[in-house]
Amino acid sequence: MAVDQVIRATGLRKRFGAVQALDGVDLTVARGEIMGLLGHNGAGKTTLVNVLSTLTPPTSGTASVAGFDVAGRPDEVRRRIGVTGQFAALDEELSGHDNLVLVARLCGASKAQAAGRADELLEAFGLRAAAGRRAATYSGGMRRRLDLALGLVGRPDVLFLDEPSVGLDLPSRLGLWERVQGLARDGTAVLLTTQYLEEADRLADRITVLGAGRVLASGTAVELKARAGSGSISLRVGPQGDRTVAAEALGRAGFPSDVDDGRGELTVPAGDSADLAVVIRVLDAVGQNVTEIRYAEPSLDDVYLAFTATAPDAPAPAAAALDRPPAPAPARAAPRITLPEAERRTGDTPETP
Amino acid sequence: MTPSAGPATEERVPRWRPAGRAAQLRVLTARQIRLVYADRRVVLFSVAQPVVMLLLISQVFGSLADRSILPRGVSYIEFLLPALLVTTGIGTSQSAGVGLVRDMEGGMVRRFRVLPLSLPMVLVARSIADLTRSGMQLLVLVVAGHLLFGYRAGGGAVGLVAALALSTVVIWSLIWIFIALAAWLRKVEVLSSIGFFVSFPLMFASSAFVPVDVLPGWLAAVATVNPVSHAVEASRSLALGGQVGSEVTAALCAALGLMAAMTVLAARAVRRPPDE
Ligand SMILES: Nc1ncnc2c1ncn2[C@@H]1O[C@H](COP(=O)(O)OP(=O)(O)OP(=O)(O)O)[C@@H](O)[C@H]1O
Ligand SMILES: [Mg+2]
Repeated sequence: MAVDQVIRATGLRKRFGAVQALDGVDLTVARGEIMGLLGHNGAGKTTLVNVLSTLTPPTSGTASVAGFDVAGRPDEVRRRIGVTGQFAALDEELSGHDNLVLVARLCGASKAQAAGRADELLEAFGLRAAAGRRAATYSGGMRRRLDLALGLVGRPDVLFLDEPSVGLDLPSRLGLWERVQGLARDGTAVLLTTQYLEEADRLADRITVLGAGRVLASGTAVELKARAGSGSISLRVGPQGDRTVAAEALGRAGFPSDVDDGRGELTVPAGDSADLAVVIRVLDAVGQNVTEIRYAEPSLDDVYLAFTATAPDAPAPAAAALDRPPAPAPARAAPRITLPEAERRTGDTPETP
Repeated sequence: MTPSAGPATEERVPRWRPAGRAAQLRVLTARQIRLVYADRRVVLFSVAQPVVMLLLISQVFGSLADRSILPRGVSYIEFLLPALLVTTGIGTSQSAGVGLVRDMEGGMVRRFRVLPLSLPMVLVARSIADLTRSGMQLLVLVVAGHLLFGYRAGGGAVGLVAALALSTVVIWSLIWIFIALAAWLRKVEVLSSIGFFVSFPLMFASSAFVPVDVLPGWLAAVATVNPVSHAVEASRSLALGGQVGSEVTAALCAALGLMAAMTVLAARAVRRPPDE
């Protein structure tokens, strides 16, 4: 099984002057696996991608990609990786087609193969109409798409995508997700950083949360959600009911509730959906009949905020929430996490493996 | 990408073997040539530049230069033009450096760093692309000298071609000075401010415009160790004809030595990671 780990980093550190950008990162990614990398701005995501893609050497620690040491055998690594960094890496003076041909030729394609590969990727990324235009004239999203296409030219075993969907419209983003999933199905390992938690939730087999250069948490989305803490139950009592009485009863039963007078709802943290029955029984016993009740799982947003709150110099969760692009409205109600609660959780944040 | 692109399953096609050095150089040089000749105006003016030098220097210094300090029977234009063949390259070298910095700032060189290719090849490609522009400048210079001043090489066609060939080699080595500087400094402002301290002494602390013996002692000393002086002497002796002596060997040795040193430095410099 171990041979399947195509990215394997141990104790990676990277220092830029006074900034410890990476502070002992361990990470493995298997063949065909999509690893999502989350973290605040400045957490070290790009630095980690740069180190693993041989762009910059680690200060200490070791990493191998596709079976080769990134510091010792960068050429072998480069043969097997594809990179789309946070900032476009393309030739503004060349057309989209010529950009792709150039990279394909350097990867060893013949003229005909290079042209064929360029056409394939232009088609796949919806750039056929703009193929002959200079990249300097492309819109932001088109440039991003060309940059993504350039990362795939050499049919990499390991793909690094640093915030790939920034600036992409919805169809392009969905198309990108589909393509990334397809590549992973075919065995490509993908390391993907993102600020869109929905993207991580949809794509990533496993998620690593970075903070101040350290791994704060790592696991599948389900595991992280479970570790980050509880889901929540929102309920409404009938018109004759009394929210205060209900809240008191719940409190005595070990469900500290949160009353939202505006919406006329009570919200209580809950371990899992089995608590639904318990809550209804408690309220029934005090004569409050429940007219509406639902259980919401913790979202990845909660996971993110719960884990990054432990980062030493992380911005306050509230500020971080402002930085996030508005997530598409989730189908389920997001549980309300209050700040003290998030802080309480930091105490039992699992140690990083 | 559109959803209509269909299921995104890529069949595993065997990967290509990375291009060898020669193929890399071909592809990269073609790219650099496109960059160098991308803007017609830049090409036009850079090719016209040595003609302006020829006009101005021949008039400004030519009127001052005492015929008696020139070698016997040699006109100032015959003295000057073979020197300009060499010194023209200094300006070109500087713009090669600036071009390289700009290229390194752009995204493609960043991508090259994660592709299986030899980064110094990017520099070799740049030097070749700029050398082709220099070649055009040299030809324009000779033609302008002939049309404007009735210049004829005393050494005949053979002498002239030899002078042109030697100048080309020397210019290649000068280009490498600036490529090495560019790869180290990586900032246009820094490069051009430091470039001045390199290019002006190379050009003027030399025997290019007046014979070394009329220079003040300290400057004459600088001029004798300046590789441009050797190159100018060699180019002059080839173009003027007569017996060709050790100047050519000295010029070639100086140029090749310089180039060897600079390529080593440049290759190290370009491999430095981009963010440090
Ligand atoms: N070349 C550099 N010189 C100095 N500091 C650097 C350099 N590159 C990165 N850093 C610092 O290292 C830390 C990590 O940066 P990095 O770019 O990896 O963050 P990130 O997680 O990718 O952030 P973002 O979400 O904003 O892209 C930051 O504090 C950054 O300022
Ligand atoms: Mg980043």
